Amino acid sequence: MSKDYQMKAAINQKLIEMGERERLKELLRAKLVESGWKDQLKAHCKDVIREKGLEHVTVEDLVTEVTPKGRALVPDSVKKELLQRIRAFLAQHAAL
Amino acid sequence: MKMEDMPLSGPDNTKLEALVNDIYSELVEDACLGLCFEVHRAVKQGYFFLDETDQESMKEFEIVDQPGVDIFGQVYNQWKNKECECPNCKRLIAASRFAPHLEKCLGMGRNSSRIANRRLASNNNMSKSESDQEDNDDLNDNDWSYGAEKRAKKRKSDKSQTSPRRSKTLKHKNGELGSGISADPYKYNYNAGINYEMLGPDEVQSFLTTQCGVISEHTKKMCTRSQRCPQHTDEQRMAVRVFLLGPSAPVLPEADSVAVPESFDIPDGQALMSRLQWEDSPEISPSDSASSKASTNHSDSRRPKKKKPRPSLGLNSGGGIGSLSGGGGGGSSQSNISLSTKKKKPKLTAPSISSIYDDLN
Repeated sequence: MSKDYQMKAAINQKLIEMGERERLKELLRAKLVESGWKDQLKAHCKDVIREKGLEHVTVEDLVTEVTPKGRALVPDSVKKELLQRIRAFLAQHAAL
Repeated sequence: MKMEDMPLSGPDNTKLEALVNDIYSELVEDACLGLCFEVHRAVKQGYFFLDETDQESMKEFEIVDQPGVDIFGQVYNQWKNKECECPNCKRLIAASRFAPHLEKCLGMGRNSSRIANRRLASNNNMSKSESDQEDNDDLNDNDWSYGAEKRAKKRKSDKSQTSPRRSKTLKHKNGELGSGISADPYKYNYNAGINYEMLGPDEVQSFLTTQCGVISEHTKKMCTRSQRCPQHTDEQRMAVRVFLLGPSAPVLPEADSVAVPESFDIPDGQALMSRLQWEDSPEISPSDSASSKASTNHSDSRRPKKKKPRPSLGLNSGGGIGSLSGGGGGGSSQSNISLSTKKKKPKLTAPSISSIYDDLN
């Protein structure tokens, strides 16, 4: 529904404007590094690169190979915390 | 585009949740993308595989995860049991004890000079006391073997104080040792204090004339401060002198106010004073005169008690009484003067004083 879409766009805008999106991004990155997610994914990258050959690797290759795995590898605790924070932000600023 | 139109309840909750999830996945994708860019750049710049050189060196520096060994594979206290030869004394010392041993062996370092000084001080005390104890049998006969106990205890505490391991023993004893070590910087001076058992009677007396000398309850040592040290009262000082030198033989060189006679522990001290004073007046008038019969009677009655003429003692006693009365205050200064001019001295009717001078002579 376009209303949803509009709402989504509005919320996104608010997130960015208030700087909350940056904060969330940094928080997520820190947590992922801490949990070892980044190293895991890097190892996977190595495999992909070895497979494809060092010279011919492109960004798209990496992205298509790595992103789904990355999404799956995020630890549950990190996911829960981030969802919680987003919900809190929405509750606070989405004018209930 | 009014968000207020969207009530967040019931069926819209799922929409909200969907929204939240969307935002979340966007964030995760951003993170993945960031990683991909990073890796891709590393690959193209050529530094991606830098940490993987070859299989052999990788095996060599692999992380070790065994018990008893750190992650490099090294044992923790491998060098503890090794022994090194000291260049000074040529002894084999354990590696962990090597540095403190060197410090003491070479005589450099903060602690070593302090310990050496303390040892010298205690040695001097010991040798001094041993030579003097033969002089006086009384001290040797002292049944109260406190001195021997004290000396043994002191040696033990000396040993335990200089070793850096002493903190281990402290864990069991909360009492004295703990307080002793905490007061260690002060105790260093305290250890140089005097134990009355170690001094001969002459030394005790000379010591007591210049210093406070009150025996501390904790360490049983005599206070080395001056006669006016604020930690101890005059009563304590008198008690110590009575204890050490026999009763009624205090040699307090202070000429104080009249309040001091009260602090004398001699039971008959004041009685003595009064007796002397009382005796003076009849004696100033010539004893031949028949006018004071009662006094002569009195003096006659007292004379037979003391038959031995002691001319040499006269001066001593005069001096002694002088010092006594000097401590006694100005009131008895008259007796002092009158006594010193007297020629007949064996008027010392108080038998206790004669006994003092026996001892002193």
